[in-house]
Amino acid sequence: MSERTIELEVLRYRPEQDQEPFFQTYKVPCEEEWVVLDALNYVKEEMDRTLSYRWSCHMFVCGSCGMMIDGEPKLACKAFLKDYPTGKIRVEPLSNFPIERDLVVVLDDFVEKLESVKPYIIPKEERTVEQGEYLQTPAQLKAFKQYTLCINCLCCYAVCPQYGLDESFVGPAALALAHRYNMDSRDLGRAARDDVVAAAEGIWHCSFVGACSQVCPKDVDPAGAIQQAKFAHGIDYLTSFLPGGKR
Amino acid sequence: MQVIEADVIIVGAGGAGLRTAIAVAEADPKLSIALLSKVYPMRSHTCAAEGGAAGVIKSNDNLEYHFHDTVSGGDWLTDQDAVDLFVNEIPKELLRMEHWGCPWSRETSGNVAVRPFGGMKIMRTWFAADKTGFHMLHTLFQTSIKYPSVKRFDEYYTVDLLTDDGACYGCTAIEMRTGQMRQFRGKAIVICSGGAGKIFPFTTNGAVKTGDGMAMAYRAGVPLKDMEFVQYHPTGLPGSGILLTEACRGEGGYLVNKDGYRYLQDYGLGPETPTPVLKAMELGPRDQLSQAFWHEQKKGRTIPTKWGDVVHLDLRHLGEKKIDERLPLIRELSAKYVDSDPVTTLVPVRPVVHYMMGGIHTDIHAATPLKGLYAAGECACVSINGANRLGSNSLGELLVFGARAGRGAAEYVKKGVRAPGERLDALAADSEARVKAWFQRTQASDRVPALKKRLTTAMEDGCGIYRDEATIKAACDIIVDVRERFKNVALEDKSSVYNTDLYQTLEMDAMIEVAQAVAVSALQRRESRGAHQRLDHVKRDDEAFLKHSMAHYNPNGEPRIDYLDVVITKSKPAERVYGARAGGQSAA
Amino acid sequence: MNPRKPYVRPISKTSWFMTQGRYKVYMLHEISSLFVAIYTAILIIGLVRLGEGEAAWQGWLDAVTSPIGVIFHLIAFVFALIHTTSWFKAVPQAMRIQRGEEIVPGKLIVGAHYGVLAAVSLFVLILAGVA
Repeated sequence: MSERTIELEVLRYRPEQDQEPFFQTYKVPCEEEWVVLDALNYVKEEMDRTLSYRWSCHMFVCGSCGMMIDGEPKLACKAFLKDYPTGKIRVEPLSNFPIERDLVVVLDDFVEKLESVKPYIIPKEERTVEQGEYLQTPAQLKAFKQYTLCINCLCCYAVCPQYGLDESFVGPAALALAHRYNMDSRDLGRAARDDVVAAAEGIWHCSFVGACSQVCPKDVDPAGAIQQAKFAHGIDYLTSFLPGGKR
Repeated sequence: MQVIEADVIIVGAGGAGLRTAIAVAEADPKLSIALLSKVYPMRSHTCAAEGGAAGVIKSNDNLEYHFHDTVSGGDWLTDQDAVDLFVNEIPKELLRMEHWGCPWSRETSGNVAVRPFGGMKIMRTWFAADKTGFHMLHTLFQTSIKYPSVKRFDEYYTVDLLTDDGACYGCTAIEMRTGQMRQFRGKAIVICSGGAGKIFPFTTNGAVKTGDGMAMAYRAGVPLKDMEFVQYHPTGLPGSGILLTEACRGEGGYLVNKDGYRYLQDYGLGPETPTPVLKAMELGPRDQLSQAFWHEQKKGRTIPTKWGDVVHLDLRHLGEKKIDERLPLIRELSAKYVDSDPVTTLVPVRPVVHYMMGGIHTDIHAATPLKGLYAAGECACVSINGANRLGSNSLGELLVFGARAGRGAAEYVKKGVRAPGERLDALAADSEARVKAWFQRTQASDRVPALKKRLTTAMEDGCGIYRDEATIKAACDIIVDVRERFKNVALEDKSSVYNTDLYQTLEMDAMIEVAQAVAVSALQRRESRGAHQRLDHVKRDDEAFLKHSMAHYNPNGEPRIDYLDVVITKSKPAERVYGARAGGQSAA
Repeated sequence: MNPRKPYVRPISKTSWFMTQGRYKVYMLHEISSLFVAIYTAILIIGLVRLGEGEAAWQGWLDAVTSPIGVIFHLIAFVFALIHTTSWFKAVPQAMRIQRGEEIVPGKLIVGAHYGVLAAVSLFVLILAGVA
């Protein structure tokens, strides 16, 4: 077996006994093929039962194990040890979120924002099951498909300086989700979503740092979605001056 | 203890739980709903389902075909009344998903596309690339936000059901961020807590799938049905157990042994054809494919790796464009986890525990024998899956029976439910005391992770693809021992806030119960049927065992097993036919 | 009693952009616009001076060709390049063009931008009699 020992520096915070977070180092015997999540699981099972973190699927889809790994927000199940040759890895809870405990962060704010953008079909025309499916061509599907791929891992929020400085910002994942529905050929809910999406805390709060898209493990490109939404609003604003334009 | 009241309490917010919640809200928006889950809804394991959901929609298909595929696929252990309504309702459910925004893959015409799947006579599996479960889960979660009556309790760990005088009135659950227990009181309870693949060491299942809901219902006196039927998926990645969807083969992938030979033709599934033929070769049912691997391994025709023997999945001939369009996640997972890009390389795979056919006994209305208690999804057993589930029937099942559970629960509540007696508070206090006991114990001789390793290894050794009296008996004995030792484990983390030591210990408690139900049911079924293959009883025995096993909880020892007749309406038990004799069409 | 005590990690309002390389790149892009703006202002002043007669124009010309003027313009030119390249790089995200089922590759969109830039520059240079 090819084994090597890595030093896992984990930011610990146990609210019932710690005033503030501190780093705890674990020397973990690891298999070559492991990901950071495997190393954490080893710690949990063999070394320290008190370490808390979220995880489930171990295959990049449930979005539970987003955390800062050497300062970058990543999925712990997608961070392969072979990509960290120094043998020293620093693991911290996602930036920009309050720490509940150890690597577990408080997600209430994000969940509220996700709910606020009305992330469901507001149909163009009501259709009964008997009428069958809405027709949607592969091209129409393609127009929004990329934005359906978000797993809500929150890596984007952890790297967004706007969200870090002012949490009133609706943020990358929630705005990309709104864009996903706005771009869906079955949907006519854009105006209803604009209360939140086009508000000052919405797309206009984004200054296009673009970091969210750089770290997204599913290539959703939330920064792109937000700029496209801004562009659409810009066009709307300009056309409103044309004869027959809606102001 | 704080009491939270709701008309309908749903435990589990994966696909089934969310579908149930929406069904209750649509049946009557005035009913209050408490939707509890130990994880945020989008973390639920529905997200890991890849290939698709079967439902008759195309003109060349009909409900009878889907019915017969499902019944014979389940080796006639399916309840045919349940399958009948399942195949009838699933297309409507899938259309509803479409109306709610599920990004189904499409034909050029704009109609939904379908793909071939194992054991299905016609192409009828709706799909969203290779992330169907993920898209269904997010669509259901996002759609559920539309209904104000659905109140979510995210990250609440449900501990016990509260029953009084033969009816279920609620549950206790711990708010994970505070560690405080709450009493949830309702008129109807629906368990949608998923399967229990984690009782095995090598599984496609996520960390959450520990059989909590099954154990809860079991302890409350509801039998677990057909627990010995554990599905091995033929294509998991070695080491991690990550699932490579059956759609890999549906799209035309081959399974080859160490000689590059498509070995399935030696097991009644041939002849080999360059392009896929329905119900033949790689499109055979999962139980038979996993069994074929076992035989290849015995013949020494598999490839040894440090993670156990493998065969190869060959997708190279599909080409990059098709792989990227239809199987993008598979490409990513294979490349990252086993360093094999399927566009250019063979991908190592081996059978891996994937799904529990068995579960909480329910009728076709998703109701359990305990009044007011319903169950749907993988945790339940209706049964439409019998001895072997066909791929792409489980996503349909969680929709159809989730919706049925929701409507059934709403109706039950509206008919008027007698108020529970005083007993409920006492039961809740007992539940809290049971949890507190783990905190109070200081000295323990056994640690939970070590016991878990022992339990799961025993399950793999005793209840694997092939079993016999001696191996199952050995597993049963280990489980008894583990169960005894577990009584004395102590928490190593005594804190309140997000104490995952506690939740893993509670999960272990559930896993032991579920594993015991599996092993004892397997021991007593002295025949081979579907996913339950006995080396000492190699034939199917309809005379003695065309029956559902029912495991009844016994707090002092192994469960009592009795049997329930299978519902047979129009398909008499016969031989399962695949390969050339099945007459399947080309799926190219 | 509620045992929760979520911990909020402090973020500096004034030096957050020094914490990551990508934030520094972003700030460089933002700062570059300042130089582009100053350059534009100087150019507009030049036009105003031109309208005020030959002496005024000559004074402006002397100012911009003085060592300080040249140094400023060299710096402004570097920043203008940074501004241009960083914007061009970001364009495909904001301008997603779909043709049928295909998304037009970002490289093509960026390439087109550089093409237009080259054409316009060449046109201006020809107009100025340099090329």
